[in-house]
Amino acid sequence: MEAYSIHVFEANCTFCRRCQLGCSNAYTREFNQNTANIRIEVSGLTCSITFSDDCRKCGICVDHCFYGALQKVAKEAA
Amino acid sequence: MIKGGFAGKILIVDLTHGMITEKKLDDELAERFIGGLGICFKLAADYIPPGCGPLAPENAIILGVGPLVGTSLPSTSRVFAVSRLPSSNTLGWCGAGGVDFGCQLKNAGYDHIVILGKADRPVYLSLVAGRVEIQDAGHLWGRGVEDTCETLWQEYPHPAGVLAIGQGGENGVVFSMAFIDRIATLGRGGLGAVMGSKNLKAILVRGKKGIRVSDRREYKQLITPFLRQIREYPHLKEWQRMGMIKSFPYVSTDIYQKIRKRRIACVSCPIGCKDAVEIADGDYQGTTICSSSVINLFIPVIYGLEDYRESIRLVHLLDGYGLDTFEFFGVLKFAQVLQEKGLVPPSDLDGEIDLLSLASLETWAERIALRQGFGATLADGFTGMINRYGTETKQYAPALVKGMHPYTGPGSALPWDLFGTMELGQILDPRGPHVGSGGSPTYFARRPLAVFYKHFERMGIPKNAFDRIIVGHSPETHQLKVGRLLKYSHSWFGLLGSMGICVRAQINRFYHAELCAGFYEAVTGIPTTVQDLRERVNRIWTLYRMLNLRDDSGNRAAENIPEQWLRSGGFKEYVTEQPLNRTAIIEMIGDYYDEWGWDRLTGVPPEQLRHSLDL
Repeated sequence: MEAYSIHVFEANCTFCRRCQLGCSNAYTREFNQNTANIRIEVSGLTCSITFSDDCRKCGICVDHCFYGALQKVAKEAA
Repeated sequence: MIKGGFAGKILIVDLTHGMITEKKLDDELAERFIGGLGICFKLAADYIPPGCGPLAPENAIILGVGPLVGTSLPSTSRVFAVSRLPSSNTLGWCGAGGVDFGCQLKNAGYDHIVILGKADRPVYLSLVAGRVEIQDAGHLWGRGVEDTCETLWQEYPHPAGVLAIGQGGENGVVFSMAFIDRIATLGRGGLGAVMGSKNLKAILVRGKKGIRVSDRREYKQLITPFLRQIREYPHLKEWQRMGMIKSFPYVSTDIYQKIRKRRIACVSCPIGCKDAVEIADGDYQGTTICSSSVINLFIPVIYGLEDYRESIRLVHLLDGYGLDTFEFFGVLKFAQVLQEKGLVPPSDLDGEIDLLSLASLETWAERIALRQGFGATLADGFTGMINRYGTETKQYAPALVKGMHPYTGPGSALPWDLFGTMELGQILDPRGPHVGSGGSPTYFARRPLAVFYKHFERMGIPKNAFDRIIVGHSPETHQLKVGRLLKYSHSWFGLLGSMGICVRAQINRFYHAELCAGFYEAVTGIPTTVQDLRERVNRIWTLYRMLNLRDDSGNRAAENIPEQWLRSGGFKEYVTEQPLNRTAIIEMIGDYYDEWGWDRLTGVPPEQLRHSLDL
């Protein structure tokens, strides 16, 4: 059951990867970009933000973002 | 016992023999030297022999990141390098925002890399997928920094981290730097040349190991209100939107908004001080550049280049070559004066220097980076030029400390006139002049002394030192002892750097010594109080001092006070704004030594202190 819809604003992303650090720590008990369910693919000065199939849309990544690149909307409200 | 934070290993690469070994980062080393910068100094003591030349194979490069790097603590990506540096001939630190590189080094399983010897051909060091290899860099040699990074990223995509040099470093320009992920500058003082002397073009890191913290509950308890504090900081959005232009408005907000393409942050940073810009119009329309700080792009404007687009264009070129923009302009100005005075033999002159012409500046950037003609002389920096053309040329040089051009002061790029800790620190950091607040409240000029005390507490200054730093019985008679405050500014810098926290004023203002002790213990599992951190930093900075005393490069005689600082229009005392004199600065230097517990006249740490610090 997904808790939220996660809206992505890639133009606001600074590639700080706080979202990945927060996600991996919550689910694997260690900080590791590689195991995060949110993926940041950087190419030149642009990026693509996607989520793995295992992502529960719990919103932890949104809570870690300081730049407004992610926004969560409760499923009931969506 | 270390339970988290550290990757736990030190990589040792002998380029001469192509040997790669590693050793465990033991508990005692971590406990005594905190990590990051502190352990870099200890490894420098172990691996850099006294008296070795900066560009000799015997010199080593020590790279390192602190135990907080790779965690979600804000702005914990700091990377340090320690080596003997050619511009100042001192054993000094170089620090930079780690972008992806710092975190990836930890993910690759290492806290530090020690690079020894010299390869017999251009190489790059690759730490990818659990394998460490010395790879042929023939296809990278001769390329610029950005080109090198992009080439490696084609093979190993982001978030692989790349530390690379340009042609300036390859050709031993003494003011060449290394760049992290093509953005962050590492190595004012010539780290680029040291890498070049070893035929080491780049270091590539890409790992998959995670970072654990020792006490997850305590970590969460500490970080949750801390993040809230940063998020609720009223100026956060302004910092994020305006970046360094907010502090240094060298171009208008309109221009900045016009060229700004993207803000870029190091891993875990909520401020994002780095910039990608694109020239929107004119001859260089479409030129994009990433910079460690947007203000770097406008340094040529400070030196007189009027068109900001030409300024960006020039810095793009200098960054590509891997040259220090400040020193580039300083050296060119000096050469121009020597030409005008007839102190350069006609046989050496092979081109006009015009500091206001982009075409001329582009030409000299190339000639310096490639050591062509007179450019080869300029590539040896101020000291090289003075040695070549005689000591009588010294009178025409700008203010110099340890052979380098200070950032701040009369005749420097940043003509700040009040003499605070950063200004005095240009003499007293053993590495030579650099820019950086070190967390000191004097960084922002004309702050009332009454607000200093909260910063003293934040920086972990012991309460019994407060009255030594600000003396006098009332606000009207208060005097600021800049030398004593600098001791604690260096301590705070050493603490943040050893833990892995960025020292930028915009982020270190949120950190507090108590919090640092709490985070360090929660992450590493090493029991730590503020007093423990004070003692460990005393050990770290005293060792740093001793390493430079070994070769006389950091002794009192080397810590010269430039005459230019004392002339009309020179520095002013921080509080009274009266002109400074030599006696006052010498008093500050004595205060600084004394506050560390070193000999007040010579700056030599006494045997009893060394014994108590176990050095």
